[in-house]
Amino acid sequence: MSEIAAARVRPARRGGPDARAEAARGAPDVRRLLQLVLAGLWLLDGVLQYQAFMFSKGFSDMLAHSASGNPGVVARPIAWDATLVGHHLALLNALFATSQLLLGIGIAWRPTVRVALAASVAWSLGVWWFGEGFGMVLTGDVSPVSGAPGAVILYALLAVLLWPADRPGKPAPFTAARAVGTPVARALWLVLWLSLAYIAMLPGNRAPQALHDMIAGMTDGEPGWLAALDRGAASIVAHQGLAASIVLAIALVIVAVGVYLPAPAARGTPVLAIVVAAVIWVFGQALGAIMTGGATDLNSGPLLALLALAYWPSRAAGRIAAAPSAVADEGIAAS
Amino acid sequence: MIPFWVLDIFAAVMLVVAAASAARLVAARPWQHGMRPAALADIDVAHLLMAIAMTGTLVPSLRTLPGGVWEVVFGVMTAWFGYRVARDAQVSGVRALAGGHCAPHLVHAAAMLYMFVAVSAPAVHGSGGMGGMSGSLSSMGTLGLPFLALLFTLALVGYSIWDLDQLSGPGISGHHSLAFARVPAPGPVLAGVGARPTAGTEVTAMAASVGVPAPAAVEPAGAAPVPAGAPADGTGVLAPWVATSCRIAMGVTMAFMLVIMI
Repeated sequence: MSEIAAARVRPARRGGPDARAEAARGAPDVRRLLQLVLAGLWLLDGVLQYQAFMFSKGFSDMLAHSASGNPGVVARPIAWDATLVGHHLALLNALFATSQLLLGIGIAWRPTVRVALAASVAWSLGVWWFGEGFGMVLTGDVSPVSGAPGAVILYALLAVLLWPADRPGKPAPFTAARAVGTPVARALWLVLWLSLAYIAMLPGNRAPQALHDMIAGMTDGEPGWLAALDRGAASIVAHQGLAASIVLAIALVIVAVGVYLPAPAARGTPVLAIVVAAVIWVFGQALGAIMTGGATDLNSGPLLALLALAYWPSRAAGRIAAAPSAVADEGIAAS
Repeated sequence: MIPFWVLDIFAAVMLVVAAASAARLVAARPWQHGMRPAALADIDVAHLLMAIAMTGTLVPSLRTLPGGVWEVVFGVMTAWFGYRVARDAQVSGVRALAGGHCAPHLVHAAAMLYMFVAVSAPAVHGSGGMGGMSGSLSSMGTLGLPFLALLFTLALVGYSIWDLDQLSGPGISGHHSLAFARVPAPGPVLAGVGARPTAGTEVTAMAASVGVPAPAAVEPAGAAPVPAGAPADGTGVLAPWVATSCRIAMGVTMAFMLVIMI
């Protein structure tokens, strides 16, 4: 019924007054669209946190498990947190779920986008420690295929890179550089993907059956077709742990340095990153195990892909920086 | 097991949605406008029915109709919104699916139909609930074709986020916007049920507020013809943001239900 009197503006001619009006009405802004995807992921995380498993002892056990193998200074707070959650499971888990729901809503609601993004950084860091044991990166028992360095830290990184502000100066070459600047954005990208490459080459991941076992272990509870996909992928890498790790590491290094390449080559970097993220998500993470009833998030695959989109070379990213007054969402955020 | 009070809270939200939708129907009086009352009232009717069905699913003691009846209701509703989306698509092409006015309602109706049709029998015995399920959602059966549940969940979350964005600022579909509502205009701005905006009024007001020229042409999109004499009031409970807020609440609740039933 609300739509009955909806009005729609006819397509505006490029560059003319109508185009400016279109911009003022909030014509698609890449960063805003990426923020909305991030908001959707938070909202989905919140919904997933309401699953029955999260209200069971299994959830607190899962938290406690992330302490194992970590240094004492990291593990002790995790154990304390797991105990606390175990004692007040229903209340605290409902609080966790609602918080994530509100983060998603807050990012999608324009006047609160800054507050929500800032809160999401704090939340992500807390969960990365207390919920994921720093993604288990300190234990060495982790792989990019299984979600290293922890999906939740990628939420924090995205919140920083998609912060609704523009640095003065020349237009940014990609969306992620608008808030933090090109050198910092590139450095963050390099550190992330080189870290993934390094982790891929850890001894535990080079073992002949390491990747096979990891992928095969994801089939439990999955729908038949997805389990079959995973079994097929597992059989391909059986006894090929070293070779698979080398191939993966090379791909990750290419992605890492690709952001420093000249424009035509740099354009291929996010494409390769998205392909790697998709392969990891489908075959290594079984779509985040979202259909098993025990997933707290979609795992790292979609977040790596979203990150890659933020590094997509784009004229639109520069357009906004060049003419901030014509951008509606910035005005909303400022108001 | 999901605590009952969590389900109760979601059910309470759905009751609020049902009440708001009923109030909109009463205030709009679509039955008094002889021409095409269905096109005037369909969205609020859909919201009302979906909210009632979800409330009964979340809290079995509030169940109103058997699952089979709901299957028929949501089957008809899905067909109706499918028809309207097809009509929109003739005008707007694929944009009708991405940003059309009826596409979200089609997804909502189809998700409800899926929930009632695809649910499997529960492992525990009891009465109430949806389609023979018992107790609460925490003791319900699971949904068949879980990948479909995942797709519906993603679509519902996506539409909810998009609606939130549009509601909170001058987005592409400015008619939803609260920011628009704050702009005074001489005509029937943000017209709700039965109100046809004066051509360009909304956009002109918005454009003036941000210091840019107004677009040259404004046309109704996906809108049914409005009968003469229909109430030209887009304020109060008839304000478009009320319907959009209901849709957001239902989208989130529906996504919640789908996820916990996977």
